[in-house]
Amino acid sequence: MELIWFALFAVLLAGYFAIEGFDLGVGLLLPVLGKGQQGRDHMVAAMAPFVLANEVWLVAVAGALFGVYPALEGEVLFGLYPLVVVMLLAWVVRDAGLWFRRRIDGPAWRRFWDLMVAAGSLGLSFGWGVALYAAATGFGSSLLHPLGLMLGVVTTLLFAYHGWTFLCWRAPGFAGASRSGRALLVSGLVAALPVVGVTVGSMRYLLDSSAPPATLSVLSLMVLPFAPIVVVAQVWVWRTFRPGRDAVRIPSFF
Amino acid sequence: MDVLDLARLQFAVTGSLHFLFVVLTLGLAPLVAIMHTQWALSGKPLREGMTRFWGQIYVINYALGIVTGLVMEFQFGLSWSGLSHYAGDVFGAPLAMETLVAFFLESTFLGLWIFGWGRLPKALHVACIWIVTLTAYASAFFIMAANSFLQNPAGAVARGGRLELVDAGALFTNKTLVFAFPHVIGAGLFTGAMVLVGASAYNLRRRSDQVQFFTKSLRTGVLFASLGIFLTVGFGYAQFGGLQDGKFKGASAAAAGVPLSSMMLIGDLLMFVVLFLMLPLIYFLPRWRWTHPLLIAMTPVPFVVAILGWLAREIGRQPWMIWEKLTVADAMTPGLTSGMITFSLVGFVTVLGLLALVDYVLIARVVRRGPRDLALGAADEQRSPALSY
Repeated sequence: MELIWFALFAVLLAGYFAIEGFDLGVGLLLPVLGKGQQGRDHMVAAMAPFVLANEVWLVAVAGALFGVYPALEGEVLFGLYPLVVVMLLAWVVRDAGLWFRRRIDGPAWRRFWDLMVAAGSLGLSFGWGVALYAAATGFGSSLLHPLGLMLGVVTTLLFAYHGWTFLCWRAPGFAGASRSGRALLVSGLVAALPVVGVTVGSMRYLLDSSAPPATLSVLSLMVLPFAPIVVVAQVWVWRTFRPGRDAVRIPSFF
Repeated sequence: MDVLDLARLQFAVTGSLHFLFVVLTLGLAPLVAIMHTQWALSGKPLREGMTRFWGQIYVINYALGIVTGLVMEFQFGLSWSGLSHYAGDVFGAPLAMETLVAFFLESTFLGLWIFGWGRLPKALHVACIWIVTLTAYASAFFIMAANSFLQNPAGAVARGGRLELVDAGALFTNKTLVFAFPHVIGAGLFTGAMVLVGASAYNLRRRSDQVQFFTKSLRTGVLFASLGIFLTVGFGYAQFGGLQDGKFKGASAAAAGVPLSSMMLIGDLLMFVVLFLMLPLIYFLPRWRWTHPLLIAMTPVPFVVAILGWLAREIGRQPWMIWEKLTVADAMTPGLTSGMITFSLVGFVTVLGLLALVDYVLIARVVRRGPRDLALGAADEQRSPALSY
């Protein structure tokens, strides 16, 4: 039972990196590739249908952390206090940017929220590297440790590359290059590599901190029957918004 | 203020902000789902307009529900790790179910609903908004179950200095849950319906076009406001039968008494006005322009009452985090400094407060502009030859 929940937790966390990674990557690339408002609209429209289905993976990770590893939940989040606050604010600002950017037509309004999307994506991408280093060292190291900061640069670059691959897959006309679904899968796996390393490395620790069997049984009974529905819903998103002629529609709600 | 006060203030402010948006989400979701169903069945442009107009207000409101919710979820670990250490094996379960099942599905299907406009078959598109509604209700149920456990720790026993789950059935049939959940659902429906009423009255008063659109919307609003307030007040009083022993008595009674009695007074008054004045006059209200300023003025009241209700429930629990098991002071993360909590308090309150203001301005803007140039479903409109000139 502990193993099942560890696997689920690991899949959710790695999955978050592999799919939300490209949303963050596209956000990072907004000021780089998004020449003019039309370009940025195109980039956001390409990722927009996926964002809600992707970011929710991290919400699920946090819920699983609370339910499956309650003893660790406080330790992990409190151990990274200022970082978690900054990353949450980055996430909030990124989401607000996406929801708000097209609600008013003025160029200054659009530019401001596009900047917020980019800044929020940067805060999250970089923050993940720092957080992973801190987790790997058992939260003993400083959050400003050079290796942590370096890992922050690495995750940022990985997400940016993943975001670019995503654009080439879904909007090849815009990106000026074309990538297959397989290339996107590979860049997703690469983006998830750091977090997979840390999760596998802390497997024993996580297993030992699992909630007691009574709690896990109730969780299994109430969560696992819905797992197929969740999977079908996620697959449906990918089917509905797969690339092709007329895949990226403007104006998009985001 | 000491660290504990600041941590409580942070939770109270972010929690109240969260609920201001959630209560409207809970109310508008079923109303938009009903409108979408009517559109799918009748194919009438009026119904399409209603779905898109009220749907647009619903999704703009939803944005703040998400971002405030993210802060709520992580705040437990930041400021209240004593809670997860002592009772995480029990309290964590409903929260995990909320995120892993309910919100996971809600977010996925909301994305499909918003961006699937014109791409999904009609029936499946309607199904999306119904699933969003159902999962939003499920989310509310799990969150209320977690909160009810704090009020009345049923289904758990203390073993080795920690609470252990022994009876999951008791966790989900908690006497402080069974009436509180429909109370909240009713309050959501009432709030959403009163937004329909207020925004329709505003448009009927100041414009001569779209009379049919806002007449229908206003009547729908009055109808569901009646149902909503009836459920809210009925299940509100029913909750007194399931209070944990000692609640609203003793030291916390004085502090919780003010929001409690204000909520009940305003709630009763609202029920009287809605059931005995607005509902019988439902046919005339759209035409009686003199009533419109009053209807507009009533729109914010349900939000205020909803927050008063939470204040009564939560202040009434003090000084306990978990009733007679764990105090709020003991639930606070050991080692939390006033520097840390000040940093997060200022950050969260400033950013979320500003975003909330922007969100309300954007909603007001949609209401003022009326059902034209709506972004929701716009991409589909431009592609559809019937609608492009």
